[in-house]
Amino acid sequence: MTSRETLAQLKAKFGPAILRADLPADNRLLLYVEPFAIKPVCQYIFRDLDARYVISIGADDRPFSGQFLVAHDFAFDRDRILCSVLTHIPADKPKVDSISDVVPAANWAEREIRDMIGIEPVGHPYPKRLVLPDGWPDGSHPLRKDFAWNQVPEGFDEEREFKFDEPPEGCMVVPFGPFHPTLDEPAHFRLYVEGEMVRGCEYRGFMVHRGIEKLAESVLTYNEIPMMAERICGICGCVHNVAYAQAVESAIALRLPPRAEYIRTIMLEIERLQSHLLWVGLACHIVGFDTLFMQSWRIREPIMWIAEKISGNRKTYALCLIGGVRWDITPDIKTELRQLLDKLEAEWKPVVAAVLKDKNIQARTSGVGVADKTACKNTGLVGPVARAAGVDIDCRRDHPYAAYDRVDFDVITADGCDVWSRVVVRATEVFESIKIIRQCLDRMEPGPLQADIKDELPVGRLGLSSVEAPRGESHHFVITGENNRPRRWRVRAPTYQNLQGIPAMIKDQQLADMTISLGSIDPCFSCTDRLETIDLRSKAVKVWTQEELVKMVKARKA
Amino acid sequence: MLRNLCQKMFGRSLWVYHANSGGCNGCDIEVLNVLTPYYDAERFGIKLVGSPRHADVMLCQGPAMRSTAKALKRAFDAMPAPKLVFAIGSCACGGGIWFDSYSVLGPVEKVLPVNFYIPGCPPRPEAIIYGVAVALGLVDKKTAPVQFKQLELPMPRYHPSDLHGQGEMVVYTKAEKV
Repeated sequence: MTSRETLAQLKAKFGPAILRADLPADNRLLLYVEPFAIKPVCQYIFRDLDARYVISIGADDRPFSGQFLVAHDFAFDRDRILCSVLTHIPADKPKVDSISDVVPAANWAEREIRDMIGIEPVGHPYPKRLVLPDGWPDGSHPLRKDFAWNQVPEGFDEEREFKFDEPPEGCMVVPFGPFHPTLDEPAHFRLYVEGEMVRGCEYRGFMVHRGIEKLAESVLTYNEIPMMAERICGICGCVHNVAYAQAVESAIALRLPPRAEYIRTIMLEIERLQSHLLWVGLACHIVGFDTLFMQSWRIREPIMWIAEKISGNRKTYALCLIGGVRWDITPDIKTELRQLLDKLEAEWKPVVAAVLKDKNIQARTSGVGVADKTACKNTGLVGPVARAAGVDIDCRRDHPYAAYDRVDFDVITADGCDVWSRVVVRATEVFESIKIIRQCLDRMEPGPLQADIKDELPVGRLGLSSVEAPRGESHHFVITGENNRPRRWRVRAPTYQNLQGIPAMIKDQQLADMTISLGSIDPCFSCTDRLETIDLRSKAVKVWTQEELVKMVKARKA
Repeated sequence: MLRNLCQKMFGRSLWVYHANSGGCNGCDIEVLNVLTPYYDAERFGIKLVGSPRHADVMLCQGPAMRSTAKALKRAFDAMPAPKLVFAIGSCACGGGIWFDSYSVLGPVEKVLPVNFYIPGCPPRPEAIIYGVAVALGLVDKKTAPVQFKQLELPMPRYHPSDLHGQGEMVVYTKAEKV
């Protein structure tokens, strides 16, 4: 189905409620609807047309149109369409119908809109603070245009504690984090534990919220933002860098020189190699297999060196500008990269063979952290977590960007739905990345690296872009604006959705499996929070008070 | 004096605890990288521990955030004295590019007394090992202090050609207002 046919279908169903529709390209659909129709339209798109929920965006549009703006993004993976359903909300009544009861995946995004813009999602099942620090006063919303980026609101109370829910009857609370040996980043889980079994949890994260979106729309300019975008996350930074540049390019309909597209593809795949090897190492470390942790990090190190040779830095590549890239792949680097890939492939094969035959890892991870197809659909899980549940999605194939439409590769899936399948998917994807880089090196033609942009970028255009990060789909939404900077830039990192699947994955599992379940989504809290944290290095440490221990021992004896 | 004290206090193996107070993960994985075969910090007796109660040194990454300041302070208080704090990466040293954002407090030194700074975005594993080695007195410091002339705001445009070296002192002369 093309975007035109989808639109015709929606028009036939909702007719007058659709105020305007834009089709900026064959694979984009922007739908402006009446505020009262937002819920039925989203329900129809999500359930009947079977689209995948991506993210909800709130924007303060008052200085321009006098209204607030709310958008819900969906992706039609088979039809290769990215769709955004937008509605304007009157400035004096900032309320919108919540879609969380029909699209459960929208839960966090709507809470974020409530925190950051102050638009109340009416009928939200759990309208609790998500993003802002504990001491932040109610009624102060940092992403509104009348709030300065460096302002600390009056009434900020350092001492205020976050109010957690009461644990269910008969359950003990085990606090997990914010600083925790298995997690690199800060995040706090309160696990409700009955004996050794986890019965539920409450999550308090977003401790790494650095206000990146606010800085982008008030301080930086178009070409400075990519450098900040890659500092959203230290592991998959290049993904955000590319996704942002692509979102702006799609908004202004700019075509890249082919060489730049190939270079973007190569760098994204180098990053995926680095990240997957890192993850396999960490996962093995979590389950106590330290030999493989050391081995996979040893194999990974030369990738960091080649990245440094190309871009000058091991981690943050500073690759993209709007309309092109900054670094070239010289003939020397090309030869070296080829040799590196051969060596990497030769070294990785025995490791994969060892992992796949290892009975201990298999016993430790199979049946753990289960997320099936329904969970993937409802909570919008993406990336290797979805692919390990047999959901065949991959933005590189479904929403091709850069040079991915000109290379051949397989999308690896498995159907175990558990941590073991995720290990298999990630370990095997490394070979696909190697294949992609080789093809790019073969097909790359000499040419310019940067497109010419002569005029100022047009104002008020919408750009959507999805990039397949090592952890899943990274989605960026941009509204272009005045003063050489976007009006609104929204980042949805893959962990944002995957983390919402965690409570279901760890429910009714052993407490000791919690860390590997969490580790299996490859959580990246800095991406998610752009304000929050988690960590995944070693085994979970249980924090019990002495009385609790004594009580428990007594209970056992009785 | 700190150096002598360090040699005396932390003469043997150093156990480090690493706390990410709100960084992007980049410094974290470089710290982890230091423990892996190519860099192998364990040959200096440096070991990562899971609890601040076992640690001699706290490695801080990321700026101090409004939401984690309290937790960071608590983790620091849990460490037994004598203790050292390292700020690793640009964010921890100076607040990074978001130093004045609404949810960021600034550099880690606003919350904890920082003893050593290792800048970089992220610092290379070699830099981290070097920093720790300098602190322990295993190697000598190789940099000399650089003095910048105090300038009025707005800051002038920085360009390397305007830097004039005078031995150990590098002076920045040109003051063109932007």
